[in-house]
Amino acid sequence: MLFPTLAFGLFFLVAFLLNWLTRPHPMIWKIVMLGVSIFFYGWWNWRFVFLLLWAITSNWVAGTQIDKHLCAGSKRLAKNWMRTAIVGDLVLLGVFKYYDFFAVELSNLLGSSATIPLLELTLPVGISFFTFQAMSYVIDLHRRDIDPMPMLDFAVYLSFFPQLVAGPIVRAAEMAPQIRKQPDPRRVASGEAFHLILRGLFKKVVISSWLASAIVDDVFSNPESHSSQDVLIGIYGYAIQIYADFSGYTDIAIGVALLLGFRFPTNFDRPYSALSLREFWKRWHITLSSWLRDYLYIPLGGNRGKQSDTYRNLLLTMVLGGLWHGSTWNFVIWGFIHGIALSVERILPNRRNHPVIRWFVTFHIVCFAWVFFRADSLSSALDVIRALASLPSSAELTSSLSVLLLVGMMAAQFVPYSKSEDLKRILSRQRILVQGLTFGFGLVLIDLFGPEGVAPFIYFQF
Amino acid sequence: MEDETYTEPNPHPHGGFPAGKVFLSGIAGFILAAAINSGALLADAEQLPDSRSRSVSVAIWSPIEKIASTLKLTWPRDVGDFLLGRNEGEDQVDLRREQIGAVPQPSAEEWPALSLEEPSPTYELDQTTAVASEPVWSSGNPFTIWVLGDSMVQFFGETFVRMAERSSLVAATSEPKLASGLSRPDYFDWPARISDVMTEYDPDAVVLMFGGNDAQNIKTDEGQWLKRFTAEWEEEYRSRIALVMDLATGTEERVVLWVGQPPMRGEGFDSRMKQLNDLYRLEADSRLGVHYLDLQSLFTDENGAYARYLPDSSGKLTDVRLTDGVHLSHWGGEWLSEFLLDEIEKFPGLDGLWGE
Repeated sequence: MLFPTLAFGLFFLVAFLLNWLTRPHPMIWKIVMLGVSIFFYGWWNWRFVFLLLWAITSNWVAGTQIDKHLCAGSKRLAKNWMRTAIVGDLVLLGVFKYYDFFAVELSNLLGSSATIPLLELTLPVGISFFTFQAMSYVIDLHRRDIDPMPMLDFAVYLSFFPQLVAGPIVRAAEMAPQIRKQPDPRRVASGEAFHLILRGLFKKVVISSWLASAIVDDVFSNPESHSSQDVLIGIYGYAIQIYADFSGYTDIAIGVALLLGFRFPTNFDRPYSALSLREFWKRWHITLSSWLRDYLYIPLGGNRGKQSDTYRNLLLTMVLGGLWHGSTWNFVIWGFIHGIALSVERILPNRRNHPVIRWFVTFHIVCFAWVFFRADSLSSALDVIRALASLPSSAELTSSLSVLLLVGMMAAQFVPYSKSEDLKRILSRQRILVQGLTFGFGLVLIDLFGPEGVAPFIYFQF
Repeated sequence: MEDETYTEPNPHPHGGFPAGKVFLSGIAGFILAAAINSGALLADAEQLPDSRSRSVSVAIWSPIEKIASTLKLTWPRDVGDFLLGRNEGEDQVDLRREQIGAVPQPSAEEWPALSLEEPSPTYELDQTTAVASEPVWSSGNPFTIWVLGDSMVQFFGETFVRMAERSSLVAATSEPKLASGLSRPDYFDWPARISDVMTEYDPDAVVLMFGGNDAQNIKTDEGQWLKRFTAEWEEEYRSRIALVMDLATGTEERVVLWVGQPPMRGEGFDSRMKQLNDLYRLEADSRLGVHYLDLQSLFTDENGAYARYLPDSSGKLTDVRLTDGVHLSHWGGEWLSEFLLDEIEKFPGLDGLWGE
């Protein structure tokens, strides 16, 4: 069930009603929310509901054991349970997402004499997100950062439909208190929520879909037949497309959760205004980068050891972060580019340079890495780069509208946060009926300007 | 990577409204959107495949659209569509009707059937009328190829264009239309479009690929729904295949390749595509000008089954299909394009068009 569909709209009306009607009765509310989320997830493929239920059960049992052994003073047993749970989650992720990739690479390495059987399984939607949330739960429990959650609370947390399939990756520490504490049903942040949902839909349905069909798909499917100007605009276009697509999804998810009385963490904060790669990762997919920082980079040693160890940790974290997105060499290279760039920034700090130069360098490294992220294969990515380096010729795809759109979207990255929230504030001050009608009229405009048939969100595949 | 915690820059500063009022205001918003958009929503519902959900959707949106248009609530959307030039598609079905009557129907006797049972056919056309018995292609007068079809073409068309245009003697164009086919001309009228392309561009070769969206009930010109794969449905669908083939053929010089559906991962879907392939093959076999290309052996493993990964010429396993189990991957697109170029080169006068 995709967010920008009528089916989701109807589903959400029912979910909203059930949420607030049952909220005064915690046990009933949890059962209802679990049921609603499972219905939402099962809409794609009901078989994968069992996978989600397995992730809930196994991680909750492990969490309970970790807490029990920590209370009993048996740190070793607690650690073993944590490791078991993490291995279980990684096996789940590995079987569905990485097995075929490694089996193919190994088969090719060993030659035709040793063909490793392939599973060819369908990738369950959202598996990368809920397994990462589950891992953070057992690790946080082991670190004594959180208390164990009751079974139903944990089930609601892991399956909560607004963030189930494409994040943001919400930690148990952020969700558990919100599940426990009843929000005030007289103070639903409707203005903020409607604003976020409309903004997200606009980014996805209008900006992202338009850029994909007008420039990006053409350039990346056949770079050699396009001029270097078109290819450059295509790469810039993809940078904006993926931002509009993913941040649009996040906006909708946060808005939907707000209407249910939950507040999710911010996931994007004008990432293309960053003056360094470090800053970029504090602004892009914040919940993933902070997850990688807390559960991978810091445990590896972070920046506490020798310089060379820090570079190794950065590289390893970013490569694994790349692999999290998908099981292809392109994602590995994408992560590798970011890892190298982050390391180089530490070796050659560029803080003395003019901010415009720092921004220019940062943005173009990010765009260069996006080429590998978007291209179908390594050779396709190299084709794009070759086409970019070819002699300039007439631009056929680039229109004044596309340039205007790209410039507008880039300019929006530099609007101060307080200014960009003005619309939200204005909408929030309106009477509730005005908010609802504004929301309805906004939907009409988005449908009007959006192309026919909107593609699924890019991050669904991860 | 920073060893510090991110803090949300702007916690919600405003109050809020009671959930009940928010629900009612949301409903009001939806009603407003549904009323203004009812024409578009009804059109969307009518484009759904014939099924219970289509009937329910049409039953819901028809009265809403009627009421909304009577109350003139749809005018903002109508004005918006007009300003964006989106009311043009309605003429297409009429255009198709005119062309159906205008197309001369070639007889099977004139063009004896060409058997494509052999694994690697060599096309033998009448050399006096065959494609460029004297090669005349140059960069100024290239051999033109059009690739037309549904989303399958979306995934290999541009790759084909890139590979075909490695020869300076060739100019190729790919034109996919997502979610289209021959079952639903109300969604996209392929006969009309193919006729336009043939008239306007007169390509030397045409590659057609349909079927992925066609295993659905068909509505006849008389408004009657035919259940898929019944005898009546087959008769109607074959007439549509025939029409498209005849429109594409036009002249005897043109190379027309009809690409069959590859094996699919889903059993039911695969079986339906095989049924459609049989119909394409039958129609193609009854005309000299159209050549059916079977993809089953190209995309199956050693057991003849669907496979996402297949060994390439060097024995290296390569992913040829996307994770959806339907469309071709980048490499699959290259395989198919290579195969198509080889097939085109088998025609008289086209040998060596892409060099050795």
